[in-house]
Amino acid sequence: MKGAWVVLKRELGAFFVSPLAYVVLTSWLIWNGVVFWVLTEFYSRNAVSSGASTPLSGFFGGSALFFIPLLVFVPVLTMRLVAGEKQSGTIETLLTAPVSEASVIFGKYGASLVMWCVLWIPTIIYAWIISQHGSVDWGATAASYFGIFCLGAYFMAIGLLMSVVAPTQIIAAVLSFVALGVLFTVGIGEFVLDGTAREVCAYLSMWGHMQSFSKGVVDTRYLVFDFSVAVLAVGLSVGALKARKIG
Amino acid sequence: MRLTGTKVIEVEALSRRYGSRLAVNEISFRVEPGEIVGFLGPNGAGKTTTLRMLTGYLAPTSGTIRIDGIDAVKNSIRARERLGYMPEGVPLYREMRVYEYLRHRGALKAVPNIAEAIDRSLDLAGVADARTRIVGQLSKGYRQRVGLAEALIADPPILILDEPTSGLDPNQVRHFRELVRSFSGKKTVLLSSHILSEVEAVCDRVIIIREGQKVADLAPGDTETSLEDIFAELTTAGSPEGAS
Repeated sequence: MKGAWVVLKRELGAFFVSPLAYVVLTSWLIWNGVVFWVLTEFYSRNAVSSGASTPLSGFFGGSALFFIPLLVFVPVLTMRLVAGEKQSGTIETLLTAPVSEASVIFGKYGASLVMWCVLWIPTIIYAWIISQHGSVDWGATAASYFGIFCLGAYFMAIGLLMSVVAPTQIIAAVLSFVALGVLFTVGIGEFVLDGTAREVCAYLSMWGHMQSFSKGVVDTRYLVFDFSVAVLAVGLSVGALKARKIG
Repeated sequence: MRLTGTKVIEVEALSRRYGSRLAVNEISFRVEPGEIVGFLGPNGAGKTTTLRMLTGYLAPTSGTIRIDGIDAVKNSIRARERLGYMPEGVPLYREMRVYEYLRHRGALKAVPNIAEAIDRSLDLAGVADARTRIVGQLSKGYRQRVGLAEALIADPPILILDEPTSGLDPNQVRHFRELVRSFSGKKTVLLSSHILSEVEAVCDRVIIIREGQKVADLAPGDTETSLEDIFAELTTAGSPEGAS
């Protein structure tokens, strides 16, 4: 697994010397800054007394504004992981080095999780800002970040899988966008359907996932789902990279 | 460096199919320790596909490959530890500096003393002056030599080079030939090329393939006919069957 660590370091190095990293980070923070400002304005004008809903719980998945950018930013972050190496031809030098396909995939996946955390870490300042002017439920905030990490673990795994199967970065980005968009839309079925279908949609719902975590409720059903999807997608990525040899 | 007494590269009835097209058809050959062998053939003959199977990048449809006695299909990683490979076109991470790239590749190949290995391979490839330059800003000739330095970083007993001199100027080609000749008896080298003079100048033996089949296996000095004539005859005549 030393190979995975070497791949992870190279992946992060390549990301942070590319203009893409700074375009993504800047636009991400502008988007979320605006969202946070709008939510804070809303809550300050419409006092909510229950305490169950706060600007922070709204920010962490209480609105579609949380999910829409993710459908775009996740594909942009993951599209280059393997498809970029295919396009530049460096996949050949990478896969003829004495490292296993699993090491390559674990390294790339680990790097994508670090990128995900780098996106979210600056948003801690929003909680600090609220704490300067009111009270913050730090337990719920910690649960929110934990939920975001788990959500990221499954989003990034799907993005990675698409990057392995797609021949180019653009196709990888489109496939990830569609896959995440479908999962997001299926979750909305919770509010539309009845019976078992409703149950299934609720289980798959990103929205329900983050609403639960943002209130400080760590629901193990969602954790099992995130973990299962991540393991499945990473496992399929290893398999797809091995299958490339015989393709 | 270790050279065993057995054949270093042994290929038996190697075939590779892309869909319905047979790119490599039942090729067999052996390379002795310390030998420099040229792999010749017209474009599309199956040279790159064969080298990609030797280096574990592609799996064969059938046949066996033994690298230094190791089954390269079943124990691909162990076999790859014995190899330095420079693919055609020399794909490199363009955003890295030369020494960063070699450090990364050295770490990937678990080279014990990376700093020393970088210095040695940069010197051997004649690219020490580009050490701190960014790979993407180098000329094609320099990038080619960085690729060679990378292949040499782990001091492998076997080198597999796919079209190693394309993009080099005449002086660089001469330096490359001298370098490869200096490996004679120390490293086993299999290099593909379609430049006949190059193969004649550096190789102890030549394997010619055409349409995925081996059509000749000879030493350039063995025959009175020039390699150019042999190549033309073997690669433009009718069926390759039985031409070996």
